Amino acid sequence: MPERQTVQTLCRMCDDRCAINVYLEDGKIVDIDGYKDHPWNRGRLCVKARAAVDMVYHPERLLKPLKKTKKGFEEIPLEQALDEIAERLSTVKEKYGARSVSIWKGEAIGFAQEEEMARRFVHALGSPNYFSNDSMCYNGRYFGYRLVEGSWPVPDYESSRCVVLWGANPPHAHPNMTQMIMRARKAGAKLVVVDPRMSAIARQADLHAALKPGTDGALALGLIQQLIETQMFDREFVENYTVGFDELAGYAKAFSPEAVEGETGVPAALVREIARTMAGAAPRVTVYVGNGPEHHENGINNIRAVACLDAILGALDREGGNRLVDGFQGAHLTLYDEIPLEHLGPIGADRFPVLYGFRQECHTMTGMDTILSGKPYPLRAMILTAANPAMTNPNTLKVRKALESLDLFVVRDLFMTETTELADYVLPAASFLERVELHTHAKYQTVTMTRKILEYPDVQDEYQFWHDLSHRLGFGKYFPWKDETELTSWILESADLSLEQAAAHPEGIEYAPIRYERWKSETLGTPSGKVEFRSQYLEDLGYPALPEYKPPAYLDAPDPDYPYVLITGARKLLYYHSRFRNIKRFRTAIPGPEAELHPRDAAALGVADGEEIRITSRIGSLEVPVKIMSKSEILPGTLQLTHGWKEANANLLTHDDRFDPISGFPLMKAVEVRLEKVEKV
Amino acid sequence: MHLVVIGNGAAGLSALNRFRAIDTDSQLTLISAESGTAYSRVLLPYYLRRKIPYENLFIRRPEDYEKLGVRPEFGMRVSRVHPETHSLTLEDGRSIGFDRLLIATGSRPFLPPVEGLAGTNVCHLWTLRDTEQLDTLFQPGRRALVLGSGFIALQAAWAAQQRDLNVTVYELLPRIMPTILDERGAALLQQRVEEHGVEVRTAIHTERVDRSKTGVLTVHAKNHPPLEVDLIIVGAGVRPNIEFLAGSPIRTDRGILIDEYMQTNVPGIYAAGDVARGPTSFGETHQTHALWPTAVEHGKIAGENLTGRHVPYQGSLNMNVTEMFGITVASMGKFIEERGHSSHPVENGPSHYLKIVLREGVPVGAVALGGAEDAVILGRLRPWVRNRRRLPDVEGFLKGRYLLPRQVA
Amino acid sequence: MRIVAVDPTSCVACRNCEYACAFKQTGDFDTKASNIRVNFYPEERVCIPWTCVHCGEGWCMEICPAGAILRNPETGAVEIDAKRCAGCKMCLLACPTGSIHFDKVELVSKKCDLCGGDPSCVKFCTSGALQFVEEDEAYSFRRESLDAKLIRLFGLTKRGS
Repeated sequence: MPERQTVQTLCRMCDDRCAINVYLEDGKIVDIDGYKDHPWNRGRLCVKARAAVDMVYHPERLLKPLKKTKKGFEEIPLEQALDEIAERLSTVKEKYGARSVSIWKGEAIGFAQEEEMARRFVHALGSPNYFSNDSMCYNGRYFGYRLVEGSWPVPDYESSRCVVLWGANPPHAHPNMTQMIMRARKAGAKLVVVDPRMSAIARQADLHAALKPGTDGALALGLIQQLIETQMFDREFVENYTVGFDELAGYAKAFSPEAVEGETGVPAALVREIARTMAGAAPRVTVYVGNGPEHHENGINNIRAVACLDAILGALDREGGNRLVDGFQGAHLTLYDEIPLEHLGPIGADRFPVLYGFRQECHTMTGMDTILSGKPYPLRAMILTAANPAMTNPNTLKVRKALESLDLFVVRDLFMTETTELADYVLPAASFLERVELHTHAKYQTVTMTRKILEYPDVQDEYQFWHDLSHRLGFGKYFPWKDETELTSWILESADLSLEQAAAHPEGIEYAPIRYERWKSETLGTPSGKVEFRSQYLEDLGYPALPEYKPPAYLDAPDPDYPYVLITGARKLLYYHSRFRNIKRFRTAIPGPEAELHPRDAAALGVADGEEIRITSRIGSLEVPVKIMSKSEILPGTLQLTHGWKEANANLLTHDDRFDPISGFPLMKAVEVRLEKVEKV
Repeated sequence: MHLVVIGNGAAGLSALNRFRAIDTDSQLTLISAESGTAYSRVLLPYYLRRKIPYENLFIRRPEDYEKLGVRPEFGMRVSRVHPETHSLTLEDGRSIGFDRLLIATGSRPFLPPVEGLAGTNVCHLWTLRDTEQLDTLFQPGRRALVLGSGFIALQAAWAAQQRDLNVTVYELLPRIMPTILDERGAALLQQRVEEHGVEVRTAIHTERVDRSKTGVLTVHAKNHPPLEVDLIIVGAGVRPNIEFLAGSPIRTDRGILIDEYMQTNVPGIYAAGDVARGPTSFGETHQTHALWPTAVEHGKIAGENLTGRHVPYQGSLNMNVTEMFGITVASMGKFIEERGHSSHPVENGPSHYLKIVLREGVPVGAVALGGAEDAVILGRLRPWVRNRRRLPDVEGFLKGRYLLPRQVA
Repeated sequence: MRIVAVDPTSCVACRNCEYACAFKQTGDFDTKASNIRVNFYPEERVCIPWTCVHCGEGWCMEICPAGAILRNPETGAVEIDAKRCAGCKMCLLACPTGSIHFDKVELVSKKCDLCGGDPSCVKFCTSGALQFVEEDEAYSFRRESLDAKLIRLFGLTKRGS
């Protein structure tokens, strides 16, 4: 029986970051299970974690740098790859200017120091053009909440008496939240789910508002209207800590339960009941907004309206409500102060000032147009890490065309993807089992360090790559640390912690004690320092001050040529975006893409379970087999297609030309389509 | 207290286990006509077709009897029972006294009175001896006739086919498996059997068997050309082993009559298994279900009541399952519709047939031809039949709903 | 002994348990190989995970004609010895809750064995609906939550109907 070693670290198969035990025999990873002592997941894990063992040793794993030649991809030595990339970057920079070079950081590498390193690099190079997956994820909620209450809160599930999940499906997307929600329910909390579909979590909802896609704002305003009309709002909080209440109340008046029913399809009685349930549980009401409401043309204001509920219920930063968090005090790696580059016209900043203003993010979809048109200025080079936009960004055909046309396109990944296919250089990247980095779990305000458990000779982690490249390009001073461990140590020390401490505490170290009701003694992160039901900041930028509701286009101006509404992107547990289709057992469980259809619509189309339909939007078209759901699982007239499948790529259909005006998020969850049965020849 | 059990089969063994789980002190003697430790009759066909090794046939080791504190008398028959003196006489003349007696002597195969049938190369598939004999007779290319088409008969046919013999089945009645399948099920199964190259003839009356000097058997059936075979396996039913009770006060009528406590008309004398005729779950008072599950149930109740307890039996529900010709065949209860019954048949292709029979919404029986999942469905249905519970949504039940009935049998 | 208790008021039919069990048995995620099954009824919105409860008087154990089903003295689990199983399927007919299934490749019956005392399904249950608890704890826990769901599922209006 070979001896087993155990190392604790965090799983990054998805962004839940559960604590795991990694078991090794003779230096080879053989098993993974949950680490009981970490407060975040308490030993529970989903089945993806164990598949990391298969992933890191997968036969398709990229282990050597690749260069695209006329004969296809050829392996080249790492040093040569870095030399050539640096040289070609310099050439592009000289020819077109620094800002013609861009970085794209994807979801797979995470959001803490890894993100900051990428931002650091591009600024050090002299370009403001940092792109990321956040052009279409997370920012929607972040902006919605920050505009209202100054930052993005964390749900305080376990002390809650009413959990509201708004367009979120934890069992598939953030599995760990599920156990927290169920603990709350066991203690008596009610579960309200707002979602056009009966998602996994909706199966346990006490109240399920199956609203029409994109009408979230109407429902939120309807709940606000009810809470105000029935005098069930936190008057003291509203009077002392908010601005714009009277205006909001005035605007919300029109959203009676009957009006809301007409707009959203949610029965008036249910609207009243949800409001009553929330009021009865206040202030212990936790409202968590998922990715669902983000991908709509009125997404931000819809989310803002939901965010207003925290203050109205008095649940903001209260136990059992939505808690504001203290960030980790570790040093930041970004150079926005040291090297400000806003004057260089970050791509999309003029179009979406809040996107750049709040997050110093450029807009990826505008980036595609910029690459293809050369306007407002040439964008000719891109280093992309941990992302697969050729599959996961809207309007796939345009994305491919754009990325292919770059003078230099460098992609870092663990496997070949649709995006690596377009690259000039593909560099093998380190997986989460091969990196030392820090992660914070905001709910518990802990910081946890991961361990480097495995190493391949030519496979670099992010730091090593940026370090080597920056030194070749003459700004190595911004990457002085020897390796990621040294960098991590430096970050820890800046927070009065040490590498040794972090290594000794795989259960995480609390970096700041949990506290509530900070608004009693501090101002919030809004311009006024209070909760802003009306935003002067937005008004100054030309947007409505209030979270106004605009119906989605398919309701406002229905087009008989595109009579159905397509939702894309609902999560499945096993596949994270476009990842893990190469894990054999996952394919056994979920073999391929399916369009989830209401039985009435299937009957109208004459299509049986498993038969194919053609879905056509104004952007493109695809064919996909149908899964006929139960009539209570999806609304008639709508259908859902999960993204990330090359067999039926949802982003052939989604819009990169229709956005939420504030966040720039594309329309992906209320796409007008037409359907027809694919006749077999 | 001295308990004597006659019979080393399912009923006897089940009774022994149950008895000893409660009563660890009383003396226990087990008398069995067959020598050697217990083997499983159900498993014999599986060995014959080499699905399992020979050793797996034995479900007891000598030490198991020791552990239970049982004194075995193997290879010994009982010639008479004397209830009035609480004793019985063995074949070798010895007398054994008892305080309580359990008769679980089982049944033996019936040889139909066909002229020339009795003799060499004609076997049953009932005992270990039979199986060993058939094992030597099974040579590839030989021709076999199976008389009968019940569970045992068809299992024998399947084993023969698997051992590369040429097999023919003759069934007296108009359809195969008449006590296990309904018409439709029988028709589908017959198709299946024939697809495997086994010839099936129903409604055929065997009249005479001629034996040649070389041992070839010629079988003559009414209105049917003669059939030449090398061996005949007879699976034409069983008869209870009650001859030794002739002249005793223990009441029999095609089997030993027992009440719901497994007791015969003589206090202190119980019977269980194939030899007994007891209550059914449908309320009949005296029926024989010569089935393994019934034998196990009988034995358990008898074993309990032999300790002095007074536990009534819910009644036997006929049920059986086997795998043959690549298909699972299972049936339970009353699967032929009578007046007042409704049925819910489902057919998904030539190898899948499932029918539930209901009476006023209460399932009374089912028959299935298909895969293992169908046996699972019947297993789930059993508590409903047993407890006479209404099943309003049969469709839903088949789709997996009603996971738990309120009372579990 | 401890058994896997199920709570239908927490289960979301994510099927992690089925995947984890199938993986433990076969290294793949074919849920037909799983010893735990989740039944989801969309119209009533009821999710019921179900696995063998290792009955005190296991009918499968009593009836097995091969003597292949025995109780594990350490864990108390009712286990099928695949080497002794002949594939006769009588246990499938015996189990009132359909907790035994048949492996069509190995041609033997298979069932939950509590993973030798550290059940995988419990470890991977996302919502905490599965717990590995002492039997008497499990029964009361199951009865309350199961009854509520069963009443909804069966459309019953009062207990004992």
